[in-house]
Amino acid sequence: MTSRVILGKEEVREVFLAYGQAADEKERSQLRERLVEQYMGLVEFLARRFRNRGEPLEDLVQVGTIGLLKAIDRFDLDREVEFSTYATPTIVGELKRHFRDKGWAVRVPRRLQELHLELTEVVGSLGQELGRSPTVAEIAEAAGTDEESVLEGLEVAQAYNSTSLDAPVDTEDGGSSSFADLLGVQDEQLVNLEYRASLAPELAKLPERERTILYLRFYRGLTQSEIADRLGISQMHVSRLLNRTLMRLREAFEEE
Amino acid sequence: MDKVTLRIPAEPAYVQVIRLIAAGLASRLKLTLEDIDDLRIAVDELATYLVGRHGREGTLEVHFMLHDDRIEIQGRGHFPAGAKIRTDLTELSRVILDTVADSASLLAIDGLPGFALTKKRPSDTPSEVGLP
Repeated sequence: MTSRVILGKEEVREVFLAYGQAADEKERSQLRERLVEQYMGLVEFLARRFRNRGEPLEDLVQVGTIGLLKAIDRFDLDREVEFSTYATPTIVGELKRHFRDKGWAVRVPRRLQELHLELTEVVGSLGQELGRSPTVAEIAEAAGTDEESVLEGLEVAQAYNSTSLDAPVDTEDGGSSSFADLLGVQDEQLVNLEYRASLAPELAKLPERERTILYLRFYRGLTQSEIADRLGISQMHVSRLLNRTLMRLREAFEEE
Repeated sequence: MDKVTLRIPAEPAYVQVIRLIAAGLASRLKLTLEDIDDLRIAVDELATYLVGRHGREGTLEVHFMLHDDRIEIQGRGHFPAGAKIRTDLTELSRVILDTVADSASLLAIDGLPGFALTKKRPSDTPSEVGLP
């Protein structure tokens, strides 16, 4: 994380004033950057509230930042409201819109999107409660729906977020743990995996997170829930990433 | 034992139908969500060997056998003579299938290229069987 200079109330006011009166685009963008820095903590705080819905936190922070930029542009000092109070609904709105629209790589009916988001939550809390993965009947009961809808909602998961595999998701700087950190130790099997990777170049080409999941699931025998805990994402997100990774490997294999 | 039979065009898009039916039947067995996901992965993995990534001429016939404690799935391809079907699993497929299924293999059934797959209900999951 880069260190942030947090300004006092008056200083913030001054930056906003200067931003409103900036002479050229260069100055404007410098001031905007300072304001973004100032309120990044707010964006992160709000983004974290959405992180159990199966999207990487860093992506959510990016989406939230768009909301922050909109709020900065629209903020009026005469309103006598704290900027954070003003910006919160804009940032949250942007995050919600992201889940409604942009997060779904394949256009999925709103009803199914909402069902899927709800299922992700229910599956998470039921898993905690039961200490094991829930059955479809248990999920249906907790979500107040029928088994068929649950199955439908789960299949929808596979249509979701299909771009995330194609884009490198791991940030080099700060925040996310490295592969080795996640595993704790570089054990023998890991070396073995590297060896296998040399057999299957596609495995080596996978983004680190996907490779980690594959390794933990198939070479370490961890359950999806255990992997989810380790990576700080939902079990359903692990399921999705796993299914996509395997699909990608199958495609690569056939092309050989 | 209940049996469900399905015959699909040998196209990747229809493999999803096998997954859906497998998931639906597995939920009757009260398999957990993660076990159902394992089953879907196994179905994908094996069916892809027969159907191929781009599909092929012919059909895939799939039998689902629902027992009290397990589901068995058998697929066999009805393809034109000379269709090139790989009959051995890659090492990675073997590793994946060993994790997600109780047994899984590519084999010839009645002289046709096929696969067989079994997923049991683990003993620590709810025991009552939800058959209709």
